[in-house]
Amino acid sequence: MMRVLDYEIPDELYYSKEHEWVRLEGKSAVVGITDYAQKQLHEVVYVEVQKEGTEVQQFQTMGTVESVKSVSDIFSPVSGKITKINKELTDSPERLNEDPYGKGWLARISLTDFKKDMEKLLTAAQYADYIKTMET
Amino acid sequence: MSKSRRRTHVYEFHRQHAKMVEFAGFDMPLWYKGIIPEHMAVRTRVGVFDITHMGRARVTGAKSEAFLNHVTINDVSVLTPLSAQYSTMCNEMGVVKDDLIVSRLEQEKFLTVYNAANREKDYQWLVQNARAFNVAVEDLSDNIAMFAVQGPRAERTLQKISTADLSKSKIERFKCGWTKLAGVETFVSRTGYTGEDGFEVFVWDTTLSQPEKAVQVWDGILKAGEEFGIEPCGLGARDTLRLEAGMCLYGNDLDETITPLEAGLGFVVKLKKESFIGKDALVKQKAEGIKRKRVGLRMLEKGIPRPKQEVWKDSSQKIGYVTSGTFSPLLECGVAMAYVSIEHATEGNTVMVKVRGKPLKAEIVKFPLYDPMKYGYARQE
Repeated sequence: MMRVLDYEIPDELYYSKEHEWVRLEGKSAVVGITDYAQKQLHEVVYVEVQKEGTEVQQFQTMGTVESVKSVSDIFSPVSGKITKINKELTDSPERLNEDPYGKGWLARISLTDFKKDMEKLLTAAQYADYIKTMET
Repeated sequence: MSKSRRRTHVYEFHRQHAKMVEFAGFDMPLWYKGIIPEHMAVRTRVGVFDITHMGRARVTGAKSEAFLNHVTINDVSVLTPLSAQYSTMCNEMGVVKDDLIVSRLEQEKFLTVYNAANREKDYQWLVQNARAFNVAVEDLSDNIAMFAVQGPRAERTLQKISTADLSKSKIERFKCGWTKLAGVETFVSRTGYTGEDGFEVFVWDTTLSQPEKAVQVWDGILKAGEEFGIEPCGLGARDTLRLEAGMCLYGNDLDETITPLEAGLGFVVKLKKESFIGKDALVKQKAEGIKRKRVGLRMLEKGIPRPKQEVWKDSSQKIGYVTSGTFSPLLECGVAMAYVSIEHATEGNTVMVKVRGKPLKAEIVKFPLYDPMKYGYARQE
């Protein structure tokens, strides 16, 4: 686990510049939003992810997350089909703030071509550098 | 970019403790701990807001009552010295230039407090309309710091550092007075923008280059409120609190396309006054009947309504639009203000709000959105 400024960045994940993370698990991936993203949003009060079975393309909208004040799109960091969404977030959207890499996961996606997706994703070290540039 | 933003006297405190945001050209706190804990502190204990960004003008002269009766829609003649009233300024079309608080300081001296975003517009409007009255209009915005202390423990908090008695028997709601707070002479008014009991505190004769008096009062309030669990509160909680209370935000729920009658502010429209700017238009609208009206909405499904989203009766008929919408920290659901065609604006009606294209059920409800027996200034403690 890396810690950059105030933000946790687990080593084993891939990241997008839109602050989503990807945990590779065989032919599918679990995705969510990063610690940086949840801290910027603050007080998440509503999460909506597209239905199970929906095909998503890398960097296209797969849902929305709302804080008291603002609405933000969630962009899928990978291409594939949503096979499972985290239903606990409907009643407990605060999980996104409490545990963004664990209980705050958003969806499981069966991957179309991760090798291709990966070319446009960042490693933990690269994402850490990216966060540093955002904050300065 | 942030260099060009204006600051308030207690900016240093905000910078150290808050997430900042640009508002009406000012660098202001959005939240310190978070909108939800700050909101709940005000509903259950006490919170303090820096509202120095608001506009303030003093009106002085023998004709000041007549002038303010001409330029605002409420009846200024009923104000005794050291009392205040909510009002609006309208143009000849009867639409709202701004909403404001008018306080009578002395028989021939008044203070007006209006929205930060309208500072220049309102001052110009006052000056322009004052010419016929031989009154002095002074912009005191930059010489006064202003804090709101709100919540059921607001009085107890301020009493600890006040030389004057602030109890309701001395200063009731919409009354004002002078007192020393934390050793500094201040003007206080039992008003606010949260629905709760509380005060707005004016620290006079303190500029940005000489902020000491303002800082002393701000620090004094926070220290006095410690035992009651006071929280410094940002603009985020200010917005959610006023929405639950049913109070309008200029630019969202009021603007120069909306009349006070449509906004549900009929209680401040005094058509019996001899004349005032916008009277003819408002008399006409009252006779003809309004076609739309501001209502409260409480979501019956998960989802948060936001400004500009459409309100539909059912899938075939659009009946209005949302002007303010947020998550209510107290009710823990989406809530909104909306303008809805009068024939559908009935409490208890179920309507649809198109939240990002998706129709979600909401109920038309009355303000305040909370139970006034349990929360707000009229609560039964």
